[in-house]
Amino acid sequence: MNWHTAIVNFVTWFVMCYFVALNGGYLLLNLMSLRTLRRRGQEQFLDDLPRAYLGLEPPVSILVPAYNEEATIAASIRSMLQLTYSEFEVIVVNDGSKDGTLDVLKREFALLPFPEAYRRQLATKDTRQIYRSTLHPNLRVIDKANGGKADSLNAGINASRYPLFCGVDADSILERDSLVKVTEPFLRDPTVVATGGTVRVANGCEVSGGFLTKVGLPRNIWALFQVVEYLRAFLFGRLGWSNINGMLIISGAFGVFRKDAVIAAGGYRPDTIGEDMELVVRMHRLLRAKGQPYRVEFVPDPVCWTEAPEDFRTLKNQRIRWQRGLAESLTANWRLMFSRNGGVPGWLAFPFLMAFEWLGPLIELGGYAFMIVAFFTGAISWQAFAAFMLVAVGLGILLSASGILLEEMSFHIYPKGKQLLVLGLVVLLENLGYRQLNSWWRLVGLYRWATQKEAAWGTMKRKGTWQRETSQ
Amino acid sequence: LAHNTLSDPFVAAAFWTGLGALALTILLSLQILRLRLALRRNERVEARALAKWRPVLHAVVVGEAPQLPVLAANERLPFLKLWVHLQASLRGEAADALADVARNLGVDASARAMLERGRRGERLLAALTLGHLRDRQAWTPLLRAAGQPDNALALTAMWAMARVDGQAAADHILPRFIESGDWALSRVAGVLQEAAGASAEALQRLLPTLPETSLPRALRIAEALRVALPAPVLDGALRSHHVDVLVAALRNVATPDALDAVRSLAGHANWQVRVQAARALGRIGERTDVETLAELLGDREWWVRYRAAQALADLAALYGEALEAVRARLSDRFAADMLAHVMAEKELA
Repeated sequence: MNWHTAIVNFVTWFVMCYFVALNGGYLLLNLMSLRTLRRRGQEQFLDDLPRAYLGLEPPVSILVPAYNEEATIAASIRSMLQLTYSEFEVIVVNDGSKDGTLDVLKREFALLPFPEAYRRQLATKDTRQIYRSTLHPNLRVIDKANGGKADSLNAGINASRYPLFCGVDADSILERDSLVKVTEPFLRDPTVVATGGTVRVANGCEVSGGFLTKVGLPRNIWALFQVVEYLRAFLFGRLGWSNINGMLIISGAFGVFRKDAVIAAGGYRPDTIGEDMELVVRMHRLLRAKGQPYRVEFVPDPVCWTEAPEDFRTLKNQRIRWQRGLAESLTANWRLMFSRNGGVPGWLAFPFLMAFEWLGPLIELGGYAFMIVAFFTGAISWQAFAAFMLVAVGLGILLSASGILLEEMSFHIYPKGKQLLVLGLVVLLENLGYRQLNSWWRLVGLYRWATQKEAAWGTMKRKGTWQRETSQ
Repeated sequence: LAHNTLSDPFVAAAFWTGLGALALTILLSLQILRLRLALRRNERVEARALAKWRPVLHAVVVGEAPQLPVLAANERLPFLKLWVHLQASLRGEAADALADVARNLGVDASARAMLERGRRGERLLAALTLGHLRDRQAWTPLLRAAGQPDNALALTAMWAMARVDGQAAADHILPRFIESGDWALSRVAGVLQEAAGASAEALQRLLPTLPETSLPRALRIAEALRVALPAPVLDGALRSHHVDVLVAALRNVATPDALDAVRSLAGHANWQVRVQAARALGRIGERTDVETLAELLGDREWWVRYRAAQALADLAALYGEALEAVRARLSDRFAADMLAHVMAEKELA
C-alpha cells in the first residue's frame, strides 16, 4: 500500500466513522428520550384535571424584547396577558424601535409614564422611560436606547419583580398553560436554575386572538423541512441531554430562568448573537466551577409556536446566524470543556457539540466533497462511494424518522393520516439535498464567525398568513 | 479502496450499516403506523365509554338516580378519568353521590387492585380515585405508594391519605415534609390542606420539639397553612441567630405581641431579615414605626427600600398620615424615589 492509498483509506474511513458517530450519538439521545416521554404520557391526564392555585407557585416575570414589532406586538402581548398562571407580570422592552412599536403599546394598553425606582443590577443602554398599563396592572413597558436583544433582556431583568423570569420572543405564540408547564420543574426540584420548552413550527396552523386554534402542516417546502428539524432538535436533541443534565441550549423563544442565578452569572452578553445559548453554557461553566448542585431541564410539551422562514434567503440568514451564535457560545466558554468539575456538560455535551455541531459542517461537507472527488478520480471504488452515501443518507433518514416516532408516542399533534404521510415524505426528501444545504449555510456561519462581523438583531421576513387577528 | 468491493470487510461494514439504518427506518415506520392505529382504536373506545357514562354521571351530579349500566373492562380507564375529573370540580352532595355510584360499580375494589398491580399511569389514577372515595381499606397500599421514590405517585398517594384519614396522614406526612426540602412548598401545602385542621394541630405539636435546622421549613409550612404559631415558638424563633429561621419567623408574624422583636430586627445585618422585618411592620406596626420604616427607605438594598415603602404606605393609610409629608422630610434621593414609586403603584391599583 503506497502513501497515497493510505491517505485515501484513512480519510474515507474517518468520514464514514464520523457520520456513524454523529448519527449514533443522536440515536442514543433518542433512546434516552423514549423513557422520559413514556413517563410523561402516563402523567398527562393529571394535567387535564381542574387545577387549584394556592398562591405558593413561584411568580414569573415574562420579558418580551421588541424591536420594530408594531404589526404584531399588541396581539402577542394580549395573548401573554391571558396565560393561565397564578401570578405573573409582563415586561415589554422596546429596544429603540424605529417603527411605531411604542405608540401601538401606548395606545392599546393605555400606558402612562411610571416613576419606577429602577434597580440597575446588570449594565444596559440608557432607559428613557418606564410605562405602566392602566388597563393591566401586571404590564409594564421599558423604552430604552437600542442595544440589541441581550441588552433588552438585561433591562427586563433589572425591572423584573419576581424570582423567575421567562424570556419570550415578541412573535412567539404561547400555549395558554405554557407557564404552568415550564415552571413545573422549579416546583419539583429546588436546584433547577433554567428550563426550556419545546418550540414548534406555526406555519400551516391557525392562530386566533394570539392563541393557536388549529394545528396544520405548512404547504411551503422550506417550512415543512423545518417541521421535521424542530421535531428532531427538541424531542430528542434537547430532551436526551436534559435527562443527564447536559442541555446546553434553551431557545430564546421561550425559556424560564432563576433570576438570581442569571444575575450571578452576569446576565446576557450583549456582544453575541446566540445570547440564549451563551448564557446557558456560561451558567453551566460557572455553577460547575463552584461545585454548586443545579439542573437545567427541558419540558417536552409543545408550549411555544414560532413562524419559520419560508423563503430561501431568510432561512439561509437564520442558519448562518445560528451557527455564529453556536460558535460564539462555545468559544466564550472553552473552560467548561474537560474541566475538573465539568461533569456531563463539560465532558460529554460540550465536546459533542464541538465535534458534531460546531465543526460538523466542515467535516460533513468536506467528507461529501472528498468522496465525490475521490470517486471521479478513481481513488475509491464505486462500491465504497455507494456504501458511504448509504451510511450518510440512511442514518439521516433513520434519525428523522425516530423524531416522528417520538412525536407519535407522545403528543401526536398532527392527527390526520395524510399529515403523517407528508411528514414521512419530508423525512426522505430532507436528507437528499436540504440537510447538505443546511451544512453549507452553517459552514458560511462558521466563516462569518471567524471573520468576526458585528452582532445585531436578526431580521426575519414574516408572512403571518396563518395568523387571523381578532378584534379586541 | 480504489479497487475494493463488497468483499472488503470495511466496505461491507459500511454497506450493511447503511442498509441496517434503512431497515430500521422501515421498522420505525411500521411502529409509527401501529401506534397511530392503536391511538385511533383507544380514541374510539374512549369516545364510546364517554358517550355511555357522561350522561349517567351528569344525571347523578344533578341529583337524579339513573339506572346504572354495567362497567365493561375496557371502559374502566376512560370511566375513571371522567369520574376523577368530575370529582375534582365538585363538592358536597354531588361528590358524595358520585362516590356512591363508583362504589356500586365496584370501582373501589378495582382501584385498590390497580394501585397494587397496575402500570404507573393506572396507579396514579387509582390513588386519585381512592382519595376521592376516602377509601379506608386503601390506607395500607396508599402508605406503600407514598414511600415510593416516584415523586408524582408518592405525592398523589399522600394527598389521598390526607383525605382518607386526616389525623393519621398529618402525623405520618408532616415530619417527612419538614425533613425533606426536596418537596416544593406549594405541593406540600396542597396535600396538607386536604386535612387542614389536623395538619395545623400536628404542626403546633411538632414545632416546639424541632431542632433549629428544621425550623425554617416547618415555619414556611405553617405560613402556607396559615397556622397560628404557639407564642413561645415564635418568640424563640425571633431570637434565633440563624438568618433562615429569622426570615421564616418574621413571615409568620401576625399579631402585635411580637412588635418589639420585629423592631429590633429592622436593623439586622442581613438584608433578607430587614426585608421581612419591614413587611412585618407593615402588618402589625404602630404610628411610631413610621420613623423606623422611613429609615429603612434609605437602605442600600432595593428590596428593603421597596418593602419599607409599601409598609409605610400601609401604615400611613391606617393612621391617616399623608405619605407626601413623609416624602417631603426625606433627604435621601433613593428613598424619595422609592416612595414615589410605591405611591404611584398604589394610585394605579
